[in-house]
Amino acid sequence: MHLGTPWGLEVILYLFLAGMGAGTITASASMLLRGGGGDGQYFSIARYGALVGPFPVVIGTVLLIFELGRPFRALNLYKVINLSPMSLGSWFLAFFIVISILYALLFLPWPNWHGERMSSWRRRIAWICVPSGLSVAIYTGVLLGAMPARPFWNSPIIAMLFMISAISTGMALIIFTRALFYKVHLDVPTEERSWHGSGYVLAATDVLLIGFELLVLFLLLMFAHLTVGSVKYAVEIILPGGELAVLFWGGVVLLGLVIPGVIEMFFVAPKLLYGGHYTAPRSIDIVVPLAVMVGGYLLRYVIVMAGQLTGPVGL
Amino acid sequence: MKEQDKMPDDRRGFVMALGGAIATAFAAIGSMLLPGSAAASLTDDEDEHDSEEAVVEVQYGMVIDVRRCIGCHACTVACKSEFDVPPGVNRSWVEYTEKGQYPNVGRSFLPRLCNHCSEPLCVDVCPTNATYRRDQDGIIAVDHGVCIACKYCMHACPYDARFLDPVNEWVDKCDFCIHRVSKGLAPSCVNTCVGGARIFGNLADPDSAVSKLIARHRVSVLRSEMGTFPNVYYIDADFTDEVDRRRPELREVRVITHRRHKERT
Repeated sequence: MHLGTPWGLEVILYLFLAGMGAGTITASASMLLRGGGGDGQYFSIARYGALVGPFPVVIGTVLLIFELGRPFRALNLYKVINLSPMSLGSWFLAFFIVISILYALLFLPWPNWHGERMSSWRRRIAWICVPSGLSVAIYTGVLLGAMPARPFWNSPIIAMLFMISAISTGMALIIFTRALFYKVHLDVPTEERSWHGSGYVLAATDVLLIGFELLVLFLLLMFAHLTVGSVKYAVEIILPGGELAVLFWGGVVLLGLVIPGVIEMFFVAPKLLYGGHYTAPRSIDIVVPLAVMVGGYLLRYVIVMAGQLTGPVGL
Repeated sequence: MKEQDKMPDDRRGFVMALGGAIATAFAAIGSMLLPGSAAASLTDDEDEHDSEEAVVEVQYGMVIDVRRCIGCHACTVACKSEFDVPPGVNRSWVEYTEKGQYPNVGRSFLPRLCNHCSEPLCVDVCPTNATYRRDQDGIIAVDHGVCIACKYCMHACPYDARFLDPVNEWVDKCDFCIHRVSKGLAPSCVNTCVGGARIFGNLADPDSAVSKLIARHRVSVLRSEMGTFPNVYYIDADFTDEVDRRRPELREVRVITHRRHKERT
């Protein structure tokens, strides 16, 4: 998985998987707290997120550890703490893995798992999950942005972009999992209402996040293009004619953002604009999140490669 | 109803507890990050810091007089043999820059090595403190036992001075030949330089050869806009880069790095 650059596919996959997992847990915990922590439509959304969220984070972290060549050296990260974004991030990540697994365990069908005691614990852990998930989602962007020697990355907005993409792909993972596993009897009116009700919450949030992500990408490109010097030359790699342009415009922007955004908007708009009815077929809830996740991966790929393939101009 | 009445208190108590926990954690992290003992007060620390800055006794550095360089790669080879550097990577190397169109052409040489910056970006990003600046002589060194090969420093370095050792799988770079200079010898590249283009010494001593050269010549450092304050100075270096190809007076620029990295990044 060597691409001829210091950071290869393992790192790119880690950035994507950890971001998505952190986004999933953050979204799940927010949904749980939004619904007051009890049962109901928010609870079922939160449960899908909680149960699926830790997997990508753990898989990504394992990939990252094996990328080091000698995996046990990763323990050296936990002998010190300093202000390097990677040091802070590794502590955040370790804490988050523990807390997200704990959070997931609270959603397993233990005896009496609907009791007040369990749901109060779920609420407490959810309060910790939101900030720790956000810190994992945002530190990867800070990590890339910290270096003047990598002009493509050296922008505060990369962290914002990664955080929004993390929550958006996390949301997509929840929609995807729910569409695959939710057993719903659409002939029962109450069940149908709850299924479409929670579907609307998820789709509307995802549309909002996709809109924000497009906005942040626009700002990134606009400022890079309007400046002179290293950043201007670096951003040429994703502008039309650049080495990564097709992947960026076709994969990230079109497949990952514009197409899913338009499709979800089509289903969300009636309820959003004039209080109509939200109904989306299950196939849409499978295909659209897949596109968002592929787009999220390609975003990490394009950003990480573009940063490594470009450098400061002049000497 | 009872449950609902109870809940806000519960939550508030928990938030307060969480706040306390966070404050404790910050205090703990703060004491780890501050230099010196945690018990020392802030003002004491500041005093120490001031006195440290005032007395820099040894700051090793190098002057590369490009006028005297003949591009023979003796320094590259001496460095390779001194450290048994694996094929494909270099601690020190020489770049050639060819520019212009026939018959108005020029070629210049640019010996390269770690700049041992006074504001080292690589040290800032190292998550394990494996890369550090030695207080006694300002050399930026790598502790191979602590390095986890995350390659973050390779991105942070604006001079491409760092590489992943393909044999030992740790990150390595020029260390000004610590083993030689600590015994009073010159670094291997300086020792072997046939034209005397590489001059090594203590920049903190105004009477050293390097300090005199810097005082008397127009010198430059690489990528000064990065704010790294390099301690490797160049006399008469040509900083033409491939980006200058678009200048009408040059048209042709070719940079030969003599490394596996064909491009200067």
